[in-house]
Order: sequence, then C-alpha cells, then structure tokens
Amino acid sequence: MRAVAAAIAAILLLSLSALVFGRSPIELLSILINGSVGSRFAIDGTLLKSVPLLLTGLSVALAFRAGVWNIGGEGQFIVGAIAAIIASRFGLVAALAASMLAGALWASIATAMRLWRNAPEVLTTILLNFTAIHLLGWCVNGPLQERGAQYPQTDTAAVALPQLGEVHAGLLLAIAASVAAWFLLYRTAEGLRLRATGFNARAAKWAGIDVDRQLVRAMAMSGALAGLAGGIELLGVTHRLFERFAAGYGYSGIAVALLAQLHPLATIASSIFFGALSTGAGELQRTANISSNVAIFGQAVVILVLILFGSWRARD
Amino acid sequence: MLTLRGITRRFGDNLAVDDVTLELRGGEILALVGENGAGKTTLMRIAAGELTPDAGTVDRAGEAGFVHQHFLLVSDFTIAENLALQRSWSFASLRTLEAEAEAIIAATGIELHGPSRRVEELSVGEKSKLELIKAIAKKPRVLILDEPTSVLTPTESAELFAVMRRVASEGTAVVFISHKLPEVLEIADRIVVMRRGRVVLETTSMTAEELARVMVDAPLPASVAPAKNILAIVGVAGNGQSQLAERFRDEHPDAGLIPEDRTRDGIIAEMSIAENLALRSSTNADTLINLFSIKATSANQKAGDLSGGNQQKVILARELSRKPRMILAAEPTRGLDIEATAFVHAQLRAAADDGASILLITSDLDEAFALADEIQVIYRGKLSERMPPDVARERVGALMAGIG
Amino acid sequence: MIDVIVHALPIAIVASTPLLLAVEGELVVQRSGIINLGIEGMMLTAAMTAVLAQQSTHSVLAGFAGGIAGALLIAALFGLFAIRYRADQIVTGTAINLLALGLTGFIYKAVSGLFFGTSALSEVAQYAVVLIAWIAVPIALAVLLWMTSFGLRLRASGENPDAVPHVQRYRWSALAIEALLAGTGGAYLSLALSSGFAENMTAGRGFIALSIVIFGRWKVRGAIIGTALFGVTAALQYTLQAMNIGLPFHLLLAVPYVVTLLILCGIAGRVRAPEALGRRD
Repeated sequence: MRAVAAAIAAILLLSLSALVFGRSPIELLSILINGSVGSRFAIDGTLLKSVPLLLTGLSVALAFRAGVWNIGGEGQFIVGAIAAIIASRFGLVAALAASMLAGALWASIATAMRLWRNAPEVLTTILLNFTAIHLLGWCVNGPLQERGAQYPQTDTAAVALPQLGEVHAGLLLAIAASVAAWFLLYRTAEGLRLRATGFNARAAKWAGIDVDRQLVRAMAMSGALAGLAGGIELLGVTHRLFERFAAGYGYSGIAVALLAQLHPLATIASSIFFGALSTGAGELQRTANISSNVAIFGQAVVILVLILFGSWRARD
Repeated sequence: MLTLRGITRRFGDNLAVDDVTLELRGGEILALVGENGAGKTTLMRIAAGELTPDAGTVDRAGEAGFVHQHFLLVSDFTIAENLALQRSWSFASLRTLEAEAEAIIAATGIELHGPSRRVEELSVGEKSKLELIKAIAKKPRVLILDEPTSVLTPTESAELFAVMRRVASEGTAVVFISHKLPEVLEIADRIVVMRRGRVVLETTSMTAEELARVMVDAPLPASVAPAKNILAIVGVAGNGQSQLAERFRDEHPDAGLIPEDRTRDGIIAEMSIAENLALRSSTNADTLINLFSIKATSANQKAGDLSGGNQQKVILARELSRKPRMILAAEPTRGLDIEATAFVHAQLRAAADDGASILLITSDLDEAFALADEIQVIYRGKLSERMPPDVARERVGALMAGIG
Repeated sequence: MIDVIVHALPIAIVASTPLLLAVEGELVVQRSGIINLGIEGMMLTAAMTAVLAQQSTHSVLAGFAGGIAGALLIAALFGLFAIRYRADQIVTGTAINLLALGLTGFIYKAVSGLFFGTSALSEVAQYAVVLIAWIAVPIALAVLLWMTSFGLRLRASGENPDAVPHVQRYRWSALAIEALLAGTGGAYLSLALSSGFAENMTAGRGFIALSIVIFGRWKVRGAIIGTALFGVTAALQYTLQAMNIGLPFHLLLAVPYVVTLLILCGIAGRVRAPEALGRRD
C-alpha cells in the first residue's frame, strides 16, 4: 500500500516544514488532527469538504483512466453550479441534472477542440477554467446578482438538498456516484473499452474501438461528475453563488484521484483524507495563524511523494 | 580484439545470457546465429558497452561500433546533421556540416550521396547505410551489425557484405548477428550458435540443415500447398506496409485484425488475457485459452507477461473466434519460433478454408509462398499487379528492389 | 480600428514581455523533449522571490537575481522528477504548480510589505528588459539552437533521444535556460509591471505561454509573432473597456483566455511537434 505510505509521508513532511516558520512540527500535527477529526464538529466539517472532493476526484480518475487529461474540474464545477442555481426553480432533480449537463458540455468544448483542431486538452481545459471563473464573476455581478444588488452574490437557491443530521444528502449521492463509476469501469463493456483506450490507444484502435468516440464519452462523463460536484456544493452547503465559489476543488480532485490510484472506490477514502487535511488547515489558520494554503501545499507534496514511490498509476 | 568471459545477464525473470565466454578476433567475420530471444543482441550490446553484465568480464582493446537493428536516426535532420551528432561536446558552428559529412562518408568507402537530404526522404537501404557509416566512421576495433539485412534487398545485402569484408581485411573484428542461414553460410569465417542464452556450438564449417537443427532442435518443416483466398503483399520492411495496414483497418473495422507490432498495437499489456479477449470476442476466455493452446498461468494473467508467441495466440483467439469474413495479418510470425509459426500458419489456413479472405502482409518470402495463392509486391507505397506464385517467384526479387 | 491597434501595440509589447520570456524558455525545453507544465509555478515563485530579494536589499539587480534563483529551485525540482526519475511530466508539472501556489500564498500571508505601489524599476531599466526579451534573446536562442553543435544535440534530444549520448545534459541545460528566462519574466512581472506580489498573480500566463509555443510551431519566429498577436488582442480588453463598448468588465477579463483558446484552434492539421516530446523514456 504505497499510497498509504505516501499519504503518511506527506503529512510528516508537512509537519516538518513547520520548522521553517519557527513552529513545532508536533504542534502543527496535533492541530491538524484535532481540527479535522478531533470533535463531532470537526468530523462534520471533514465530511462536508470530502463530498465535492470525492466527485471531482472521480471526475479526474475517470478521465485519466481513459487517457485524457481533464484538468478542467474547476471550470466544470463552476458551470455546474451556475446551471444548478438557474434550474433550481424547477426542482431539485432538475437542478442536479442541469449541473451534470453543464459540466459535460463545458468539458466537451475541450474535446471538440481536440478532435477538430488538435488542441491539447491539458491546455484547453485549464484555459476554460479561467474563463469559467470570469463567467462566474460576470454572473454574480450582473444577471444573477441578488435582488438587493449589494454584494457580488446570487440569491439563495430555490431548493436545497435535504439534511442528514449535520451533513447533507449530497454525501449519499457522491458515494452512489463512486459505486456507479466502479461498476462502469469494471463490470461493463463500455468500461473495458474506456480502460483499454487509456492504457494503449493504438492497440485499442486495432481492437476495433472507436477511440475518438470513446474520448468524447469519457470527457463528458468526467465533466458531468465535476459539474455535479458544483451543483451539490451549491444546493447542500453554500446555497448561493459568489466569487471564488470553486476555491480549488477542481484542482484538488487531481490529488484525490492520484492518491486513490485512479480507483473509484478508493476515491472515497482519498477524499476523506484530503477533506480532513483541508479542515485541519482551516483550524491551523484559526488557532496558529498558519495560512490554510498548507492544504494546497500538502496536495502537491502527496502527489510528488506518490511519484517518488512510483505508484500513482493504477496497477490493477 | 575483445574477449567476453563468463557473461550473464538477466532482465527481470528472464535469463537472457547464461554464462557465455566468447572471443572476437581481428580480421575475422563472426556470425552470431540463433532464434529470436536466444540472447544474441543482448550479448553484443554488453560487448559494445551499452549494457552491463550481471556477472563476467569484458576485455576490450578499443571501441566497438554498433549498427542497430532499429535505426537511431533523427528523421527530421539531414544526413550531415545526423553525422554531426557524433561530434564531441562543443559549441562549434555548423557551417561546414556538409563538407565534413562528405569527408566522413568518403573515408568509409560507402556510397551515400546528397548529405543535405533529410533522413525521412531516404530509402530504407540508404538509412541502413547511414547507420553503418556512423559506426565505421569512428574506426572501431570491433564492428557489430544486428540483423542488418532484414531491411535490405538482395543487391544492397551484397554491397553490405563487400563493405564487411573490406573492414575485416583492415583488421577489425566483425560480428554479424542474423537468423538467415544462407547469408550466414555465405559470409562468415566462424559461426557461433546461441540458444536460450547459451552458446551451443562454435564452428567454421556446416550445412544449412545442420545449423537449423542446432538452432531449434527440430528439423525444417516440409513445404505445404498454398491455401485459397490468401493474398500476400510482400516487400522489404519500410515501404508502406504500415500505412497500407492502417488504411485496411479503417476501411474494414469488422475484419479480423492482426497488427504488425503485437506488443505495442496488438495486446494491451496492462490488462489481463481475459480482458484482452473480451474486447472483441464474446467466447469464454478459458475456452479460448484451451482452443488456442495459450500457455498462461490463468485467464487473469497480465497479457504483457506472456511470451511473444503466446501474445500472438491471444490476438488470434480474439480475432478468429469471431469468424470474420475478412482478415488482415501483418507480419504475423515475426520473431516467433518454428512451433509458433506453424501454429499461426495452420490457423490462417483453417480460416481461409472456412471461406474468409485473408490479406497477408509480410517481408518473409518463404511465408508468402507457403501460404498465398496470389502475390503482390509493395515498393515505396505502390503495389504491383497480382501474380500467381510461380510468376511471382521470377519477378519478386526485382520488384522488391524497385526494378521491373 | 487601425488607430486603436497601433496605440495598443507598445503597451501590448511591454505588458506581454513576461509572457514572451516564458514562451522563449518553454520553447527551448520542449525542443529538448520535455513538457514543463510547471512553468506557471516557476514564474509565480520567481515573482515572489524577486520581491523578497528586492525588498531586503533594495537592489533591483538583486531582485532579478532572486527571481532567477527561485525559478532555478523549481526547475531543479521539476528536473529531478521529470528527468532523473522519468516521472510523468504532466502530473509532475501540475504538482509543481500546486506547490508553488501553496507556498507563495503561504509566504504572502506570513510576510508583510510585499506590495509597494510603484514600480521598482526605472523607465530605462524597464525598456532594457523589453529590448532584451524581444530582440536579444530571440537572436541568441536562434543562434544557439540552430547554429551550434550544442543546439543540434538539444534538438535531437527532442526528436530521437536514443540517437543522443548523455541526453540528460541537454535537458537539464534546457531547464536551466528556461529558469533564467522565466525567472526574469516573473521578476519583471512583480517588480516592474505590478509593483509587488499578489496571490496567484501570474494568472495562467504559463499556460498561455505553452499555447503560444505550440502556435508558433516551436520556432523562435513563431514565438515572437504569437506573443505579439496575443498581446495586442489581449490589450484590446482595456481599450474596449475604455471605449465603453458595453461589454461587462468581468467578461472582458476572460478575453485573454478565450483568445488563447482561439489561438489553439489555429493549429489544426499537421502540427509537427518535436517527435519525442513528453515521452517518459
């Protein structure tokens, strides 16, 4: 379980880096742990954070599995949320469906550019992220701005996800998505073709697979998952849109997917790990005044350690 | 010139070279013979210093030049630029490139004109000459050629042999790796046979039958009558066969497809045998493994772990079990031993007898004549007219060289 | 309309100088066969280290040196994984960007006084950098890559690394050159153009640079034309704003990225990348 070793190593490295800033590593570590799982409140926070991470992680994992670099989770997350709030007047199911559709479409822009114009999706998806961020800025300052027009944010959404104690029902949806993704990849012909394309696109062509169509489907599904993440975050947590809504969930999905070795079920554990890291980092900021950017830094360290251990690529 | 003592080398589980001791002598042409996977290339790469042995010593009197089977050329660069790559580390200007190239080429005595031509424009024979020039230009004490004639026409092979003889007469130790017995008998002063990583024989005189028997411990197979419905496209490798195969694949996606490069394009190494089969065939994996005698630990074994012959069997099983109407088989027996080759031929024949039309692309003339009832020659991307085997036998040599 | 463009040109050139330096650096690296997605993080780090160096020494030269040093550190890290360990270059680059983002954000919150309000460079110095980036560097790179033995081998590393002995030397050299250039670009961004460091201030310039390298077909001439083209069209966002065209402010902010997407659309058909670009062997 090199992944587990990598996670532990990353946390240790992170704690050690506290020395650079004149703090005790043990202190940092204990705040992290306390802030993430040390209390009922903390655990709830961790679970809440892990829902969008689980979905964006699945999004990245699915795409990587098919051999596509979908780094556009951030943008797909945003447009998913925008679609969700617009469709929220038609009910919960409509809003969620709209978020998935929007995410899929946003991702498909990159796919279209790749298929028709040879544009590398690793770049187009990132550029679309920036575009989506400014699209959001326009929406909350313009057409979707709240009625009072005081702050750059929207009104509350017309519907909300039902609550399950302190957590919202999106948690169940996310876990269901994870199981569905696993089933798709390992128990269906479509999943077999998708994985084959990801392992070796040339051989896949020789095995009669239409690689281009496969790419389209994989990216669309990937985008839909990220879009759903945005919709759920809106309808379950924030209930309204504002600037900086995405807050890096899309990019964090990359670390989540890699730690899970691109395996859908392992993404559940991985997202909880990073959710804990994020919540713990928030506590660090509150009590020790250490910027919560450590969470981002932590993601990077995990990825690099995984690369070092040579195990980020799924080995099944 | 160069002495190898007790050389052993492993690649993972595979014992490629097993305690080999061999002496390379100046002025002599040594032929290193054996089936694919016998360890010839690995042994010589160790001799040249490209690989380190796990055990044993290499006593080298000077540098070794290596002419690789797969060209180490930059296609986008010109001949002159490729030769300039050999220059030692410097920031010197490149203005005199072409003049220098012509001087280098002239010194080797090999004919290759137009040093400002890009490598991608060259014919396969010319690329092979360039590789040779690169190796000889350094005036090595040992010159190793790895399967150099696999991409040459008969005329070009003769030219190559003349160069080899000249280089040997100047005192260099020449090693010629090949699995083509007639050539070996023609050119070699001494013959060393390898099998499964060991030297099994060293001799200065032998017949083809004796050699073949030592190589695989089995007699040459008797010739069989050709099947119907099989069209063979023959030609020296690199004359457009890959493009032809890809066009066929795109036009007939439902056909049975057996690609040229089985490890890269045929099977998906990271997936299991069962998964590879399931990509196209709905027949149960275990059934197919039995039917096609695939040697594997189980259907869940990773396809990449299988030997070349067994990988080919997986591909055959996947494609032929669907009973397709058309089949494309590109170099289906490349690198396979005699048993596996016979198996593949039998399968193709059976499919043809069942009524399937087979397009066989191969650079192995024996295979083409054994299987096909019609033959076409491909040269620089263009196809000749179809010929029955007896007509083809006369014209094939000339057509493959681009004449007639 | 021509009027507008002519007026926008000088501003565009100055404003896109950091971008050009990044394009030039990435060009060299990709010619050697490596894709460095982490150039975004490299520039961001350089922008910060440049400010830190300048603020503590009050010397602009030290600032630039600091910027280059920061970029070299990132380059070393990237090279360690991508060249030495032969890791996947895209994943490594992404990790580097996250690292840089987290680290610079962290330091930014911990240290004060990183934003000072006026440019640290005199006008002469500013124009000197612009001239170097748009004239001196392209000439130097063209000579280095296409007229020396070193350059030949560097380019060969990107086409068929097996044909080049000691390939790593050339790839490390390429990364060092990129760090030099991108480091200067990042320093210029924070010291001259933006009067200080702000979180995530590179705002995707690294990715835009990657796009321009492709658009320019991995040639120096293409790099200059591509950057100038981008610079002018992106500068239009300000002129349009000034002209009160009626396009909302936030959408105008998206213009550079949409323009880049369009630029990437312009590479349809056979784009001949260096043969071995991105290969892990």
